[in-house]
Amino acid sequence: MLEIRDLHASVTEDGREILKGLNLRAQAGEVHAIMGPNGSGKSTLANVIAGRETYEVTQGDVLLDGESLVELDPEERAHKGVFLAFQYPVEIPGVSNTYFLRASVNALREARGEPEMGSAEFLKMMREKVKLLGLSDDMLQRSVNEGFSGGEKKRNEIFQMAVLEPRLCVLDETDSGLDIDALQVVANGVNALRTPDRAFVIVTHYQRLLNFIVPDFVHVLMNGRIVRSGGRELALELENQGYGWLEAEVAAGSQA
Amino acid sequence: MSHDRKRYGDTTLGNQEPSANEPAWLNELRASGREVHGRLGIPTPRHEDWKYTPLREVAETDWSPAEPGPALFEEPLPEFDSGAVRIVMVNGRLDRNLSNPGPLPGGLRIASIRDEIHSGNDAVLRSTLGRTGPKPTQTFDRQIVPDEHTFAALNDTLFEDGLVVYVAEGAKVDPLIEIVHVSHGGPEPSLVVPRILIVAEAGSRCKLVETYVTRGNGPSLTVPVTEVVVRTGADVEHVRLQDEDAGALHIANWQTAQESGSTYTSFNVCFGGRLARVDQGIWIGGAGTRTRLDGVVVANGDQHMDNHTRLDHAFPSGESFEIYKQIADDRAHVVFNGKIFVHQDAQKTDAKQTNQALLLAPGAVVDSKPQLEIFADDVKCTHGATVGQLEDLPLFYLRSRGMPRNRAEAVLVYAFAADVLEEITIEPVRKALEARLFEKLAVASR
Repeated sequence: MLEIRDLHASVTEDGREILKGLNLRAQAGEVHAIMGPNGSGKSTLANVIAGRETYEVTQGDVLLDGESLVELDPEERAHKGVFLAFQYPVEIPGVSNTYFLRASVNALREARGEPEMGSAEFLKMMREKVKLLGLSDDMLQRSVNEGFSGGEKKRNEIFQMAVLEPRLCVLDETDSGLDIDALQVVANGVNALRTPDRAFVIVTHYQRLLNFIVPDFVHVLMNGRIVRSGGRELALELENQGYGWLEAEVAAGSQA
Repeated sequence: MSHDRKRYGDTTLGNQEPSANEPAWLNELRASGREVHGRLGIPTPRHEDWKYTPLREVAETDWSPAEPGPALFEEPLPEFDSGAVRIVMVNGRLDRNLSNPGPLPGGLRIASIRDEIHSGNDAVLRSTLGRTGPKPTQTFDRQIVPDEHTFAALNDTLFEDGLVVYVAEGAKVDPLIEIVHVSHGGPEPSLVVPRILIVAEAGSRCKLVETYVTRGNGPSLTVPVTEVVVRTGADVEHVRLQDEDAGALHIANWQTAQESGSTYTSFNVCFGGRLARVDQGIWIGGAGTRTRLDGVVVANGDQHMDNHTRLDHAFPSGESFEIYKQIADDRAHVVFNGKIFVHQDAQKTDAKQTNQALLLAPGAVVDSKPQLEIFADDVKCTHGATVGQLEDLPLFYLRSRGMPRNRAEAVLVYAFAADVLEEITIEPVRKALEARLFEKLAVASR
C-alpha cells in the first residue's frame, strides 16, 4: 500500500536536510513501528507523508498504491485515505467537534463523488464510533481540542481516525505525554481499527506503546535513514539497551 | 446663511433652536449639545480621535431629519427570540405597531422618551440622560477628563423621541429585551437620531439585545446614543449588533455607568454599514464591579469600521475584561482604539485588554491602538495586540482531515470571531449571531 523510495526531505524555510534517503514498504493489514532517538526525523517523516508544507521533498517518492503523493495537497492526500494523528493536536476554539467532523466527512465524500451525509445518518455514525472507542458524548459538543487534557486530545485524534476511516494511518508520537491509563485507551482504539485493508505507521520514541499495539515490523530511524528493521523483538532490544549500541554499530558500519 | 457647498472641516449638522415646550433640564441638555457640536463640528483627520475615520461624505451631504418610516417593511426585521419583550424603533421613534412587548414582566417598564416628557413623568430622564459619562478626577499631577463627543452632542440637540427601559429595584427580568432600530432612508439623505436609555436599579437583572438595521434605498446617517445605568449590585448583559446595509453610515455613542458591586457584560458586534463607528465608554463609579466589553468586527468590501472604547476605573477592586476580534477582508479598514484609565483611587483594579486582528487580503488595513494610563500603584493591568494572518498549523490540521484550503481558511476565520460570541449567555442571540457570522463570511459558499 505505502511505498517510500529514497526519500530526501528538508525544512522549507532553511533548507536543512532531515530525511536522507529513507525507504519503507507497508502492506495493507500491517502495523509498522518507526522508532528512533530524538532528532532522527521521525516526526518529519509523519508530516511529509501527510503533506505538511514546512517540509520539502527534494528527492525520492512517497507512493500510495503506486500513485505518488508528493505533489498533492494535504487535503488531496486525505481524500486518498491518508490520516495523520498529530503529536500536538491543534486547538480550534469556536468550532465544535461535531461541526468539524461533519465538515471533514463531507469534504471526503464530496472529493470521492459520494453524496453528502445527512445529519441523522452522521449522528448515528458518531454514536457508533463513540461506543466503539469507549468515549463520552460530551466531547462532541466541545470546541475542537479546546481545554482538552493531553489524553483527551490524543483520544480525539483516534476518534477522528475512526470517523474518517482512512486506509493509511500515521500516528506521530501518539504516546507522548500520556499516563498508562490514557495510553491503554488510545491503544485499544487503534486496535479496534486494525483491519485487513488498513495499514498503520506508528512513530514512537518509546517501546511501551508497542506493548499495547503489537507491531508486525519495527524500523529504527537514525539521522534520516532507516538503519535497522526487524520484528517486535527489535523494539524490546531497544528498550533494554537504548539506542547507543545501534548508533555505535551504524557509525562503525559507515566507516567500514 | 449661504447655500454654498458644505465644506469638510467647517461644518455642523443640525441647528435646532430651543423649544418653549420642553422642560428646563432638556433645554439645558440641548444647549450644551449645541455648544459642543457647534464648537467641534464634523472632525477632520487632523483630530487625533478621528484620524482614521473618513467623514468627508458625512460633512458634505445635505442631511434632512428622517421622516417617520413606513408602517410595514417588506423584508422581515431581525428577531432573535419569539419569547422576548420586543421593541421596534423606526427612524428614532418608538413604533407601537411593530413592537410586541407582550405582558411585561414585573418590575420592567418600557416607555417612549417623548411620552415621558409630555406626560411630565420624566424624573428618571431628568436625573440620568446625558449624565452617564466619566467624571473628572485629579491625580497627583493632572486631571483625567471626559472626552467630548461631537456626534453624541448632535444627538442631544436633535432627538425627538427614543426609548426608556427601566428595571425596578431588585427585579429579575427573565425574558430577553429585544430592541430593533430601523433606519429608513427616504429619497433625500436622512439623518436618524435614535436615543435609548436603560436604567437597571439596585439589585436588578436583565438581558438586552440592541440591533441596528436599515431598510429602504435612500442614503442614511444614523447617530445613535445609548446610555446605560447599572446601579448597585445590578447585573446587565447587553449585546449590540450593527447590521445595517452596505451603504449606510453609522456613528454611535454608547455610554455605561456602573455603580458598586454591579456587573455589566457587553458585546459590540459590527457587521454592517459602509462607515461604522462606535465609541463605547464605561464609567466604573463604584467599588467591586465586574465588566466585560468584547467586540467582534467583520469588515469586507469597502467597509470602514472604527471602534473606540474607553474604560474608566475610578473606584477600587474593579475587574474588567476586554477582547476585540477584528477581521478585515478585501479593501476594508478596521480601527480599534482602546483606552483604559485607572484613576488614582482605583487600587486593586484588575484589567485585561486584548485586541486581535486578522487580515485576509493585501488591500485590507488594520489600525490598532491600545492605550493604558495607570495612576494607582497596586493594580494588575495587561494588554496585548496582534495583527496577523491565519496560522499555518491549524490550516494544515484541517486540510489533513480533507477540508479544501479555502474551506479550512473560512472555518478558521469563523472560529477566530465565534470564540468571542461563545461568551454570550443569551442562547438564541448567540446562535443567531453565529449563523449571521457564518453568512457574513460566506463560509458555506467557499
